[in-house]
Amino acid sequence: MDERIGDYPDLDQLGAEVSVELFPESFTVRWDLCGATADFFASYFSQMPSCGADDDATQAEVENAISYVLNEAVENAVKFQAGGTITVKVGMYEDSLVFVVSNWIMGSAADVLRPRLHELIEGDAHELLLARVEANAANPEAGVSGLGFLTMITDYDARLGWRILAPDGAGDRVHFHTMARLPIFRT
Amino acid sequence: MEVRDATYRVWFDESSSTVFFEGSLRLGTADYRPISEILGEVLAKNLPVLTLHMLELNFLNSSGINTLYKFAIALRKQGITVVTVRGTTVIAWQTKSLANLKKFLPTITIEMQGDE
Repeated sequence: MDERIGDYPDLDQLGAEVSVELFPESFTVRWDLCGATADFFASYFSQMPSCGADDDATQAEVENAISYVLNEAVENAVKFQAGGTITVKVGMYEDSLVFVVSNWIMGSAADVLRPRLHELIEGDAHELLLARVEANAANPEAGVSGLGFLTMITDYDARLGWRILAPDGAGDRVHFHTMARLPIFRT
Repeated sequence: MEVRDATYRVWFDESSSTVFFEGSLRLGTADYRPISEILGEVLAKNLPVLTLHMLELNFLNSSGINTLYKFAIALRKQGITVVTVRGTTVIAWQTKSLANLKKFLPTITIEMQGDE
């Protein structure tokens, strides 16, 4: 299986990138390290002269956008990881900063996620956000908020895509890649 | 009423009818429960006016945004409509995400320091 959902250009076009690889089975990834990882990349890239959200964007806005989006992606990877490594890559592609967070999840988890991801891409994210929060309010015991990807789109104009791979020998796990693109590369 | 750890503090000040949020909130969904409990206690007071003070809240992840938006819905359903949220444009996430509160509680007043 090699499935793509949403906006997911070929990784080999990313070129130069900064990456971090985590090994949760050997070195436990504490929850607060999600934010620390995101903040590392946010600090790194927001201080590059070539990065700027829009003409009037400040460095703080760029740093916040990177930090928010990447923190959500890494939190998801840590939350749903089913062994193996978690990799975080950040680079530039066309007019965007590109984040790719990859981790292994159970195939059954992918089956649950798949329709939600299609809904995110094909629906109106602002309407979906309203509906999701109202549903969460009606179900206080909901274990997940479901707002991570949605708020990336509604609040940060992120373009999202996913790639799900099931290589030989992976058993009932799949390699799950989340790509987020932020329009903050100023040419 | 107060809940805190190394990175955040949330508390209710009865005299000013204000909930203060301070620090960085990047908890897992279940870890917002103590904060939700404080907000539930505030809700139960049925206050005529309420202020949410966000000026020192540097980060809020999506689970925290969920907690905040759900509180806005609870206020709306309880008829507590004279609500003000105080934020700042200096903290970028607040500019991005606080405006959505109006979708869940249309009567809320959003005061952003740093606005012209």
